[in-house]
Amino acid sequence: MKRALIASALVAIAALVVSLPGAFATTRAETAATATPGVTSKLITIGGTFPLSGPASLYAPIPRGMQVYFSWVNSRINKGDHKRGVYGRQIKWKYYDDAYNPAQTVQLTNQLLLQDKVFAIVGSLGTAHNEAIRASLNQQKVPQILVSTGASEWGTRAREFPWTIGWQPDYVAEGRAYAKWIVQNAPNAKIAIFYQNDDYGKDYLSGVKEGLGSKSSLIVGEQSYEPTDTSYASQIARLKATGADTWVILAIQTPTVRALATAKALAWRPKDIVINSVSAIDLVMSAATQSAGAAYTNGDISSAYLKNPSNPTYAKDPWVKNYYRIMHKFAPSLDAKNGNYYYGFAKAYDVVRLLYLAGKNPTRQSLMNATRKMNWVNPYALKGVKVKTSATDRFPISQMRLIRYQDGSWTEFGSLLQGR
Amino acid sequence: MRRVFFALNVAAAVVLVAVFALLPQHAGELRLQRFTYVAIYFIALLGLNILVGYSGQISLGHYAFVGIGAYTAALLVIGRPGLELLNHHPPGWIPLGDGMRAIFTIPIAGIVAGVFGYAFGLPAQRLAGVSLALATFAVGVSLPQIAKQFDNVTGGAPGLPLTLPTTPFGWNISVPHWLYYEAWVTAAILAFAAWLLLRGRAGRALGALRDGEIAAVSSGVNPTAYKTFAFGISAAYAGVAGALLAVQIAFVNPDTFPLGQSIILLAALVLGGLGSMYGALIGAFVMEYLPIYAQDPPFTSNGLSTKAPTVTFGVILIVIMLVAPNGLMGLLRSLGRKIIYRLNRNSVVIDERSPLGQSRRAEA
Repeated sequence: MKRALIASALVAIAALVVSLPGAFATTRAETAATATPGVTSKLITIGGTFPLSGPASLYAPIPRGMQVYFSWVNSRINKGDHKRGVYGRQIKWKYYDDAYNPAQTVQLTNQLLLQDKVFAIVGSLGTAHNEAIRASLNQQKVPQILVSTGASEWGTRAREFPWTIGWQPDYVAEGRAYAKWIVQNAPNAKIAIFYQNDDYGKDYLSGVKEGLGSKSSLIVGEQSYEPTDTSYASQIARLKATGADTWVILAIQTPTVRALATAKALAWRPKDIVINSVSAIDLVMSAATQSAGAAYTNGDISSAYLKNPSNPTYAKDPWVKNYYRIMHKFAPSLDAKNGNYYYGFAKAYDVVRLLYLAGKNPTRQSLMNATRKMNWVNPYALKGVKVKTSATDRFPISQMRLIRYQDGSWTEFGSLLQGR
Repeated sequence: MRRVFFALNVAAAVVLVAVFALLPQHAGELRLQRFTYVAIYFIALLGLNILVGYSGQISLGHYAFVGIGAYTAALLVIGRPGLELLNHHPPGWIPLGDGMRAIFTIPIAGIVAGVFGYAFGLPAQRLAGVSLALATFAVGVSLPQIAKQFDNVTGGAPGLPLTLPTTPFGWNISVPHWLYYEAWVTAAILAFAAWLLLRGRAGRALGALRDGEIAAVSSGVNPTAYKTFAFGISAAYAGVAGALLAVQIAFVNPDTFPLGQSIILLAALVLGGLGSMYGALIGAFVMEYLPIYAQDPPFTSNGLSTKAPTVTFGVILIVIMLVAPNGLMGLLRSLGRKIIYRLNRNSVVIDERSPLGQSRRAEA
């Protein structure tokens, strides 16, 4: 028994010794990159990670909306060069389910790079999740573009991480817009703030405080919640006790519905402000209306930067009609009214514009150069909203408009707001 | 018969070590990374196996100890100056140092998680069965919340980015290769340690407690000591796995250690085969590869996989448990046993001395 043990240990050591020099030898050859990864004469492969399952699976439609747009681009003939796809290359879109776990994001992003050999990481969802892969992607000089999160740092830390860029208006800018509206329209408001206790909620919170500036004394109460909390009764009772008349709810979808229902239960009726990711999905407000009653949702304020596909205002908009036509053709089983499909679809429009801008023979470098020269109108965004970047401005979309909820739909009001 | 199995065991161990040592020369970078994760899960499963397979206790929240190890390693690697750069200001009494080389954090993470595990084991040994399962479940649920609460130390929900791993001591070897060897050498050492531990007095005592506590106690086994010991050791293994994991992904945040991972860890152990180290190894492969195949199952259209990876995962789990109720190792073992019996029965005619052959003949 002992002898067998020693023998096996010896064999193991011998095997290690034999293998180590081989391991040393193979290290150098790997770095010699030749052609651009993910780009062939017929194909351009891009990929990303999304929470198709798990606590954030509500965002699962986003990559599917992107897929539909890419499918359409692959099938249509471009008027300029009479070719399908982008410069005759079909777009191959690979996406994986990270279940909202950053550890999975890291592994699956490696899989996209090493197995699927993608050209770029596009639209991956989640702030922490994109942070988890950012250092590695920047070290390998792999583009990490149009990430699906509005944290301000995608734009503010561009010098440190030049291979990373966001897409949508950032949360700080959005928070600032609400604060400015309050200062202008209700200079004597008593503001209560309810925010998610993480970087997401705190980004918004700092935006609101920035926007209030010297008027920050208007805030009479601040309460936070954990995403896992099942009841907010104590926090909201405290907010009610402050006598606030304006309530800024910096919470994601389900918590917002619950917060409004709790306010009704406590018979507190302030003027509500809800964030864009709540107002962009119609289902959320109708759920809130159902559980809290129309009196608690009518008049709510939010903001938007994309058109709302289910809003009657846009029923005749040619681009929204185009969206429905393409969705029905390529994915008839999907519920195209869901704003998350629309979000993915609109984002894919900018991805394709970027791929054209990266040139006929795109490289990872030329794609990143393109992200510094974005300057166009995304027809799926609100009228007047520009997609614009420069070497120093790394916030592709930074304009938005305020919207007001009345009897089941949102209406835009006021002028276009500059987030940055 | 025992000798046949022992020889098979030794041969299998030798072959496995040789395969894992030689693999990096032939595998691409992605496979290398996957196998590094397999080593990490193997370590965690070895620990869980000591607790569940040998001492008969249950843990539904074991990934929390992986999390404790990962946070320990991450904090030590980043160090106090690094944390201040990230704008976190942990209280001064926590000995964080100025940033440590990743490899030295492995034993420390093991010890820290082990202490937590031991401390949890002390009150937990009063519980058994469902109550114990619930208590461990609570640990798994609460770790992410605790990590969020003490954000001046843990970085809260946004998490802590580690500097990307590098090869230490100026060795001329690529980073994925280094991480692979680091993980597998650690796994080999810990597997050997577990084997030494379980074949001796402690293993017998734990087995006796599992199979009949009253009988074990009347034979002089101290149940409290051994049960808490099992908790401590298994948590220490989980902590080591956590340290390796944190360095491998170069990032920790509360979402990295969700409750679901604890359940998958236990499922992988049962799938692999309880009470067997090979079972733990098979379980580690299951844990790494099953979710990946669930995303992209072969022989299906792309539509199914992208819609329901978790459902696919669940269905595969159920099918495996139906085919192999004692885990995959149990399946292999019963297959092996059948083959050996078959071989022996044939040889009985020629070799009358085989004691096994006689018993078989008697049955026939």
